[in-house]
Amino acid sequence: MIIDALLPARSRARLSIALVLGLAPLICAAAPANPAPTRADWTTIADQPDLSGVWSPGPLDKYGPGGAEAPHWLPQVAQQIDALKGLDAAGRPQNIYINCLPEGLPSSVTQNLNSVEFLVTPGRITILGELDGNRLRRVWTDGRPHPADPDPSFSGHSIGHWQDKALVIDTIGFLPEVFIPLSQGVGFPNNGDMHVTERITLTGPDSLRQDIVVDAPHVLAAPWHASRIYTRHRDRSFDLAESSCREGDFLESTDAHGNAVFVPVPKDAGGATLPLDQANTPSKGTHQ
Amino acid sequence: MTRRLRTVLALVATAALVPIAPAAQAHHSFAMFDPTKPMKFDAVVQSLQWTAPHAVLWVAAGKVDSYDPGVWSLELPTSPANLAKMGWSRNSVKAGDKVIVEINPMRDGRRAGQFKRATLTATGQVLSIGVIPGAQPPK
Repeated sequence: MIIDALLPARSRARLSIALVLGLAPLICAAAPANPAPTRADWTTIADQPDLSGVWSPGPLDKYGPGGAEAPHWLPQVAQQIDALKGLDAAGRPQNIYINCLPEGLPSSVTQNLNSVEFLVTPGRITILGELDGNRLRRVWTDGRPHPADPDPSFSGHSIGHWQDKALVIDTIGFLPEVFIPLSQGVGFPNNGDMHVTERITLTGPDSLRQDIVVDAPHVLAAPWHASRIYTRHRDRSFDLAESSCREGDFLESTDAHGNAVFVPVPKDAGGATLPLDQANTPSKGTHQ
Repeated sequence: MTRRLRTVLALVATAALVPIAPAAQAHHSFAMFDPTKPMKFDAVVQSLQWTAPHAVLWVAAGKVDSYDPGVWSLELPTSPANLAKMGWSRNSVKAGDKVIVEINPMRDGRRAGQFKRATLTATGQVLSIGVIPGAQPPK
């Protein structure tokens, strides 16, 4: 520590005490607690729409490529999007999820192909998924506001409340690199200040609708509206499974000591698994 | 030592001889596979790599068209979590099973492709990507 080098031991001790005494009131004032749930809290949840179970996301029919629901990009972004679409069509996707970082919003709603589970507990709703090494997203329902300066994250900071029978979620605090996706091979970073609102409603005994509005003023000419329909499954075969995004990068093997280890599998530039003897050299197959 | 383990060790031994591509890239677009030139050929199952985000069927084949004999990586378009809901399991095939595979090959000519369907020669059973009720089907 720089302090260690500059101050004698006794001075360091005094400084430490002063720092602790000075910071303690600040820490207390800035750390509101999560209260223990009461019977009334659980009763309130029991009377709300039942989101339990595992939900399969349905077709992406509300914003087919080129359809009326596609995002309206700013002109300078639209040009870049066209180039990305061209590369994808030519078999050279500029993969938006290739590095296994979390997808974040809105992809975890609009691009997701895996099951989703909502855990409703006092003060928060936890949304679990089967990607990103098992996705976890928190929606605070305890009335707290967004932080004034949230740490940017992939899924942002979400606060929610029930509006009649609809769960309304407001999210800010995204990393600017988080993509607004058109497909698994074409997406564009939100470039900052993205704001997402969602509305989740039960539309039948086992169906759910999630409407999402994405406002990204640095890349979109107007907020993008999309919707997803989910189907609920109660069968235990649908219970969420562990799903690591990186596991497929490795083969199970044994080291020289007989210990079980993972060894890397070679991949092509686009992320496809390759035969081990063709990691770097294309063969003379018919597609050259 | 099980046959499957021997297969994996053989694969690993091969891997030790070649440089490994540096990047780790799991979840990805399937644009590198060509759906306009589907292929169908006889092969022998090496292993079913039961991993997220894409399971991989490893098969060995003799000379196929202009492809040299060797091991093929056939990527399934989704994860074990979804495949299990479609009726697959990590034991759907086993090492040594003779199969007829149907794939969309990789555009650059390497022995890799997108798995479309496999028919078990012994029983005629067809393994294909199934559907999950109400869900958007994978590619």
